[in-house]
Amino acid sequence: MSSINAGIITFLGTNCEQDTRRACELFGWRAEYIWQDERINKKYDVIFLPGGFSYGDHISSGRIAKLAPAVQSLPVGETLIVGICNGFQILCEAKLLSGALTYNENLKFISRVVPLEFLGEVIHIPVAHHQGNYISCENMSEEVILRYTENINGSDERIAGIYNREKKIISMMPHPERAVYSELGLTDGRKIFEFIENEI
Amino acid sequence: MKNFKAIVDVGLKPTIKDIKAITLADAVEQITDVKNFHCKLQNRYILEFSAQNRDTAQKTVQLIAEEILANSVIEEYEIHWVDLNE
Repeated sequence: MSSINAGIITFLGTNCEQDTRRACELFGWRAEYIWQDERINKKYDVIFLPGGFSYGDHISSGRIAKLAPAVQSLPVGETLIVGICNGFQILCEAKLLSGALTYNENLKFISRVVPLEFLGEVIHIPVAHHQGNYISCENMSEEVILRYTENINGSDERIAGIYNREKKIISMMPHPERAVYSELGLTDGRKIFEFIENEI
Repeated sequence: MKNFKAIVDVGLKPTIKDIKAITLADAVEQITDVKNFHCKLQNRYILEFSAQNRDTAQKTVQLIAEEILANSVIEEYEIHWVDLNE
């Protein structure tokens, strides 16, 4: 049994918290939810901001959720923070990561399995987003850890996931938590969770 | 307290590809004979509130625009004040 303690922040409109929890538990991690209105005082090894539609994506994805006490009290630089999809959008909106996520180039909601370059190999993980078009900034301090092998949504340099090592923040648009159970047909998401485990 | 009304228009910065505007321009050129059609899409927010004075009101609207209505990485905003004493 692993000794890793994971916290999963849930917002009004989050819908991937259970998948994220089950993926954590597959790796033997303990996982619990953190409600958006709670300030984070407890020590976790990793904190997830899972996917979903926080506040209905009103104004823009992640724009309102960034104001939540749980986000405002994130232990940046101390605990590994992982944003998945809406979590990535929230972290960009909170300016904890550089760049911004805007509407997909084709203006459509994209929901499909996509090939991605990850640590020198090609893996397959689902994406499901309307605002996944990543606009990067000059001199971005993040390292690109996930890249679409083809243009999926218009993202600069096909960026799908980034890692700010100084702030200890990993974020990505694909959903690795949806690709860990062989019963569901995909297991490449395990490689992302293994990466996360190594970075804790 | 005084009453204030501000209109905040938010749109993408010129350096950011405005996909919806491009789609609109393509559609316009399909149904008209105009050439070099350009447009810009904006969201308009109309804010009405009470504040101690104009300075406080301006700071409040600027805060709302920067923190909630626009993402300064890709968007820009304009504030227009409506004189309620007219």
